[in-house]
Amino acid sequence: MIREELAERLDQEIDGIRAGADPSASLELRPLLELAATFTMLPDPEFRRQLKAELHEHAESARFSGTGETPLGIDPTDFMAVGRTFGDSADDFRPEGQVEQGQVERRPALPGWARSDGDRRSVRAGAIAGALSVPSLAHNELSPLPADPRSLLVSFVSHAALVALIVSGILAGHRTVLKPNSSPSELTYVALPIGETAPHGGGSGGERNTIRASRGTPPKFNDQQLAPPVIVVHSPTARLQVNSTVLGPPDLKLPQSNQLGELLSPNLTMPSNGTGSEGGIGSNRGTGVGIGIGAGVGTGSGGGCCTGIYTPGNGIRPPRALYDPEPDYSEEARKVKLQGSVVLSLVVDATGHPRNVKIARSLGMGLDEKAIEAVEKWKFTPGMKEGYPVATRVEVEVNFHLY
Amino acid sequence: MRIVEREPEERALIEAAQNQPARFAELYEQNFDRIYAFFARRVSTRDEAQDLTAEVFHQALASIRNFRWQGAPFVSWLYGIAAHVLAKHWRSLGGDVPVDEMHLPGSRDEIEQSVLLGRLVDGLPPNQRTVLIRRFVEQKSIREIAQELGRSEGAVKQLQLRGLENLRDKLGRKP
Repeated sequence: MIREELAERLDQEIDGIRAGADPSASLELRPLLELAATFTMLPDPEFRRQLKAELHEHAESARFSGTGETPLGIDPTDFMAVGRTFGDSADDFRPEGQVEQGQVERRPALPGWARSDGDRRSVRAGAIAGALSVPSLAHNELSPLPADPRSLLVSFVSHAALVALIVSGILAGHRTVLKPNSSPSELTYVALPIGETAPHGGGSGGERNTIRASRGTPPKFNDQQLAPPVIVVHSPTARLQVNSTVLGPPDLKLPQSNQLGELLSPNLTMPSNGTGSEGGIGSNRGTGVGIGIGAGVGTGSGGGCCTGIYTPGNGIRPPRALYDPEPDYSEEARKVKLQGSVVLSLVVDATGHPRNVKIARSLGMGLDEKAIEAVEKWKFTPGMKEGYPVATRVEVEVNFHLY
Repeated sequence: MRIVEREPEERALIEAAQNQPARFAELYEQNFDRIYAFFARRVSTRDEAQDLTAEVFHQALASIRNFRWQGAPFVSWLYGIAAHVLAKHWRSLGGDVPVDEMHLPGSRDEIEQSVLLGRLVDGLPPNQRTVLIRRFVEQKSIREIAQELGRSEGAVKQLQLRGLENLRDKLGRKP
């Protein structure tokens, strides 16, 4: 057979075997086809390089973490019992006493070819698993702990950290970030959309004193004001002793102390109801506390507290989420594995409730609605201005991730 | 056929890798072929063999500090991990776990033959090596290879023939 014919015949045989045909090669070609069969399973050189690079990367990260932790809790020293005698015996990897006789077809090198006519046996899965639990050469007895005690410590710490991360919500599906608006802080005097009947103003009072009201805290809010707060009591023999209150929603909480007064007033020593009028504490008019008008607290008028919507910064402390349940994933988004974030704009009112939640950046596929639905259930500590809770406009970024 | 282990050198490499994981690369280079060959004989696709090989080396790297020198060659330890990985792989596919061909007489030599073959390929003339790798590893057709190399299909078939003959001769399998 001339060389061209031989090369052509060889190639036809290779193609035929690949297609599943039985080899019909001559004795001259058979050794070459056997080599070709071995070749079909040689590793891709690119894979070899990539794996090396990947291992190098892991090695570097291990160097920085300083751990030699065994993955999946497996101590490979246990494998020593299986692999230790390789090279000494034909039965190197056979777990003693756990081999069952049986018939298992061995994979042919190429379709239609049997590699060997040798002995055939099978071992049930449990047998090998059992063999892997035998004592190692490194340790002559079974031990529930890893060979290196440091591994146990590192494992414990890393798992604890992971659990903490998951519990804190950092890794668990939806991370939420409170973002202040980028616009500068300013008092807008826009009424909060919590209903026309609800009080939403500030309050003040005073007795036209020349000294600013003493520093202290306002009394509690109540729907009705039976007695205005005063620092200097001019009628100590009143028949009916009633606790003073300011007008506002009872769930609106302000700092409380034994000393009534105006928050953050510079007057720390002289008892004074302030420079305002009509009986409260402060520098304007009304029966409340602060610099507004009415029976409430702080700026604004009409009761309640702290009218106006602020943006955090410039002395306005931002609100902070106290209760922030995660949003659900919409079925639609889950099906197409949509991930990303929705940005919502909202006002956190002075009671810490989210109001007027709107979409600032949409993600679609029902995730916007899911984000709004979740954020409307949130509870915040309100933003603060000069010690008074104020409404603040913030943005909330709700991240949707599938893990 | 057996590849002779040079124990002191290997032990030094292991200790180096234990102190400095980046040195694991040398152990990887020394043992890749045998671990890959171990799997290549036991699974049906190259992808499977590569995945399992990768798993073994990742586990070995992660556990290298736990390795205690007992006089056995390092590859024995790797074979131990490989046997575990293979058993797990078979269990994940369901059914019985076939016994290793490693249990059968002569299988070790077959592995070493595969290892040797891989090394001999590297020693082939570049054009023969390229044709064999593209034909068998990358599973390309003669026509595709001819187009890529700018050669005739007949020339590529000749290179394929000469490459396989070269390997046959180096392995001592005379016709």
